[in-house]
Amino acid sequence: MTPESAEPDLLAALGHVDPPPPGVLDAAREVLWSAVAQEMLATGPASGHAADVGRSESAPGRRADRPPDPGA
Amino acid sequence: MPVEVETDGALIERSVRGRPDAFVEVARRHEVAVHGFLARRAGPQVAADLLGEVWVRAFAGRGGYDPAYPDARPWLFGIARNVLRSHWRAGRAAEHPAATGDPAGTGYPVAEDPWDDVIDRLDGPVRSRALRSAIRALPSAERDVLLLVAWEQLTPAQAATALGVPPGTARSRLHRARAALRLALAAGPAEEES
Repeated sequence: MTPESAEPDLLAALGHVDPPPPGVLDAAREVLWSAVAQEMLATGPASGHAADVGRSESAPGRRADRPPDPGA
Repeated sequence: MPVEVETDGALIERSVRGRPDAFVEVARRHEVAVHGFLARRAGPQVAADLLGEVWVRAFAGRGGYDPAYPDARPWLFGIARNVLRSHWRAGRAAEHPAATGDPAGTGYPVAEDPWDDVIDRLDGPVRSRALRSAIRALPSAERDVLLLVAWEQLTPAQAATALGVPPGTARSRLHRARAALRLALAAGPAEEES
């Protein structure tokens, strides 16, 4: 095996992790649902028009002309 | 007639426009991948603890997402990376209050570069001392791109998005990282550890 061909295989093996138990994913989704529910309660029923949410972590003008920014 | 699947971008846009619950489908699509990102770098227990925080931060910041990007993974990995950095910063600051600055020029303050811990935890079926040493020796910025591509299966352009750098920068970092690894593997054959 050459170093070139070994690199991806070895790297992939180093990065192997077992899949998470379902409870872990469910618990994280519950946290998200809490945030979703809070926003739904705060804004009332779906209004169908744009809600100005989530702007605190983003800069104006980012949409359309720049890639999504994961934030600081 | 095939059912058209909404892109992540469309779901996120819908979640901004009065249907916040649409965001949960984005989380459901990528929860294993984001958990894997966290677990590879911080272990499964920390990953379990931080995954919810990633979703909450992503949900709070979704208004800045450009829905023209159909795949939200790069954005989510970027958020997960920021959550991890906050976690490491808090942990190291508690352990070593004086550990600040960036003496090695890695781009990360000392308290945020956890690679020694990460590599000590790696326990794959193939344990290559030479490769691990080479990864450890990489500048953090190059290591980040390399592992987003090798572990998270991103393209170099997507890795650039996750890291908030221009695509050309990501490509040149990836090129340098791969060259360094090839050199290291050529110089010292991978040692199999039992």
